[in-house]
This record gives sequence, structure tokens and C-alpha cells, in this order.
Amino acid sequence: MSYKIPMGPYHPALEEPYKLDIICEGETVSDAKLHVGFNFRGIEHLAETRNYIQVIALMERVCGICSNIHTLTLCQALEKLTGLTPPPRAQYIRVIIAELERLHSHVLWAGIAAKLMGFKTMFMTCFEIREQVMDVLQAISGNRVNYSMNRIGGVNRDIEDPAAILSMIEALERGMVKTIIPIFTTSTTARSRCAGIGVLTNEKAISLGVVGPVARASGVGQDLRRAAPYAAYSEMEFEVPVQPDGDVRARLLVRALEIMESCKILRQALTKLPAGELHTGDGKFNFITGTATSRVEAPRGEVMYSVSWREHSRNPSRVHVRTPTFVNMPSVRWMVQGARLADTPLIQASIDPCYSCTDR
Amino acid sequence: MNALETILENLTTNEQLPAPWVESGGVYWLNAPDLNIREVAHAMNALRARFITITAYQLPGSKGLRLEYHWDLDGRLLGFSFPLAAKSIESIYDLCEAVDWIEREVHEGFAVVFAGREYEPLLLREGNTCGVNLRETGAPGKPGSGLLGQEEVAK
Repeated sequence: MSYKIPMGPYHPALEEPYKLDIICEGETVSDAKLHVGFNFRGIEHLAETRNYIQVIALMERVCGICSNIHTLTLCQALEKLTGLTPPPRAQYIRVIIAELERLHSHVLWAGIAAKLMGFKTMFMTCFEIREQVMDVLQAISGNRVNYSMNRIGGVNRDIEDPAAILSMIEALERGMVKTIIPIFTTSTTARSRCAGIGVLTNEKAISLGVVGPVARASGVGQDLRRAAPYAAYSEMEFEVPVQPDGDVRARLLVRALEIMESCKILRQALTKLPAGELHTGDGKFNFITGTATSRVEAPRGEVMYSVSWREHSRNPSRVHVRTPTFVNMPSVRWMVQGARLADTPLIQASIDPCYSCTDR
Repeated sequence: MNALETILENLTTNEQLPAPWVESGGVYWLNAPDLNIREVAHAMNALRARFITITAYQLPGSKGLRLEYHWDLDGRLLGFSFPLAAKSIESIYDLCEAVDWIEREVHEGFAVVFAGREYEPLLLREGNTCGVNLRETGAPGKPGSGLLGQEEVAK
């Protein structure tokens, strides 16, 4: 007998509201329908009513986890419309903040995944380590969520003592190497709860156009930091972890390995941080008429902004945001088909969904 | 080989794309007349390009809408622009599965009809009216909208 079980829009397994209507045959999921839109704030529409300073603050609030990525992508698009190129120091600082954001996002996800696995001590450990990343971000920007680091033509704040930040990163890395990485890569609990469930095949991943760790865990080795480098990524040496299996464990491994690669990038960027200005321009911008597009590899995958401007206007005429969860979410339907009902909370969480980003 | 296939062949053979490709704002635009979205989708599939998104623009006055389709080919961002006078265009959902959600979003936001497919509500709830992003229905600065117009914000 077939029956429908609603999960959400408010559910302990969901960080934010969305709804999954799960169709079951006994304990086995045969299909699922996704319903989003509960966080719709009309941000793209609001952006048209904000000037070039206000719109940066607005877009930082699209997401509470990867807030910096949204301003980075927006500012890169606005720099194309104003003809400004950020100075090298600003490009390095952008890389540092982006990688710190990736670290805290991946560790936060690891904590939530651990909780959904029933591994609550690991949840506490992950959040303890995440707090250390937040401390670094707070030490640099003075903020814990909206860092306000990016501006058109550069960054707002300097990293005055890179050596101190570097020692914080090294302590952080030791903690991760000692706990999170070995537990997630070798523990029996993680293996038994994650291996072989929520499989997204390589063919389906390509067909759905999924991005970020979800794609890389299904054998699709795409990463904009490598394929279309921005900021100072062309000067960094790092690997793009790819796993072929497409299951929840593969997504876990990809993120664990990306944590290590982020630490590697952070060490390089902090060591080689060039001297110089933080931004170009005098704060007054001459926009040309046209549309500019920018893409960035966020913790969850590719973010793309298209921004249109009319010359002499203070406000954009259009801002379109394509977030990674928007393209990763439809894959959940295929991941849960054939899975046990009890595994669906972990499977849907394995894409690291952000519904605020999705709905905007 | 048709004209579109000849143009797209440049993508795999050239570092710098020659005309009719035009690089602007971080995108390689194909400025070719009489482009057909389904032919473009077929060609992108043949090249194994990755679909990214559709961006809808409401043009001033009664000029209608413009849709911009984007694909990624090995890190290069490709763009194809389609003016819509009649608010309708052929769906490519049957050719490109990744287009499903964005076609539904554009349909709900701008009331564009993607011919040849069926819709389920995405961001809207059942019974809501499509076209929530169109300026006629919720224009900033219009009485009752609660939003400031661009001119007012710019003061």
C-alpha cells in the first residue's frame, strides 16, 4: 500500500523551512515531491530599489552561511560594469575570507550530518571547531555572520597580522586532523549510516547539472576556482577532491577533503599576502550601461549573478541570483527513491541545502 | 552541418572566439539572427555543455521580455539572448532536465509560457497568480505596493 508522509515545512531535520512529500511503499521511498518558497523575500525585486552601496548590504543577507560569497560575486559583477580591478592585496583577502567561509560551512554541515546520523558527540565536536573558525572571521571582520568585507573595487578591512591568523588556522587544522577528518573518513558509524545510501549516479548528476560537492561526489570534477579562476585563486595550489560513488558517504568524504584543501589555500594566501592598497577608486563609481555576469565557487557550489545597470542610474535595473541549492535541490527526489524512510532526513541534508538562498 | 553547428564548432577549436561571438561582461554571447532555443539546446547537449540558468528581463514600456540562457563549457560562460514579444517560448525541458526549476521560476515570476511542458507550483502556492515579478502587478513606487520607486530611493 502506498502512502504519503509529509516532512516539513517545519521539522527537526530541516535547518530552514521547506517541504518534502515522501511517497512510501511500506518503509521504502518510491518517490518524493519538493516544495520550496517558504523563505521567499523578493530580494531580486528589492535590489532594484537599492543604490550601489545598499545593494551590497542587501545581497549579503541572501544567505546566513555564505553571506560573503554573495557580496563577492555581486562586487565582481559590479567591477565589470565600473571597469575597476581590485588591488592584489584585496584579491588575496577575498580568497582568505572565502576559504574561511567554506571551512565554517563545511564544519557546520558535518555537525548537522553527525546529528542526523545519531552521532551527537560528533555534532558537539564539530560545533566546537566551527566556533574557532568563527573566532578567526570575527577577529578579521568584527562580525560573525555578515562580514561586510567586500566593496566595489576591493575590500573594506585589512588583515593586519597575518601571522596571528596563520597560527589560528594551524591550530584549527590540528583539531580537524585529529577529530573530524579521521572520524568521518574511517569510523564504522559514519560508514554504516552513509555508505550506499542516497546515490546520485554520474549520469544523473550531469543531466541535472548539479554543482559543488554534490557534483564532485558523483564523479563530476568541476570547480570554478580551477576552471574559471577569480580573485587570487590562479596563484593558489590545491586539489579538487572527487569521489565516484555518488552516495552520502562520498559527499561526506568530498567535504572532509575540501576542509584540508581550504586549510592549504589559507596557508598559502596568508603567507604570500602582498602589501598594498585595499581598494581602488574613490568611492564614486561610473557605471556603464549593460549587463555583467560573475560566478564564484561557494561552499555549496557555483553561484552566479547577472547584474544590469543603466548609465547615470544609482540603482541596478536587474539583479538575478542563481544559487547552488537551486540546482542541487531537484536531485533529492532521485536520491531518495528506493531509500529507507529513516534515511531520508540524512539524504536530503547531504546536499547541504540552503533554502534561503533557493527562495531569495 | 547547419549554420549554428558551424558557429558552435568554433567553441572547441578556438581559444579566442571569432565573430559572431562577442565577449561582454564575462559572457560569450552568440549574436546570430534567428536563433532557435531548441536548436541551441541540442547543440549544447552535443558539446556536453552544462546548463546554468535563464535570466528574465522585463524591457521598458511595452517592449516585452528578454530571456538569457547560459551554459558553461569548460569554464567558459556562453550566453544566448531571446527577445519575447508574445511572452512565450518553446520549453527545452525534454532536452535538458536541468532547466526544470528555472523554467518554473520564470513562469511564476514573469508569466512566461514555456510551450510544450506542464508546470507544478515552485515558489508560489496553489492558487497564486503568476507574474509576481512583473512591474505591472507589484511595481516599486506604485500606490499600495509599499515599496519605494527607484527615483525616490536615489534622492
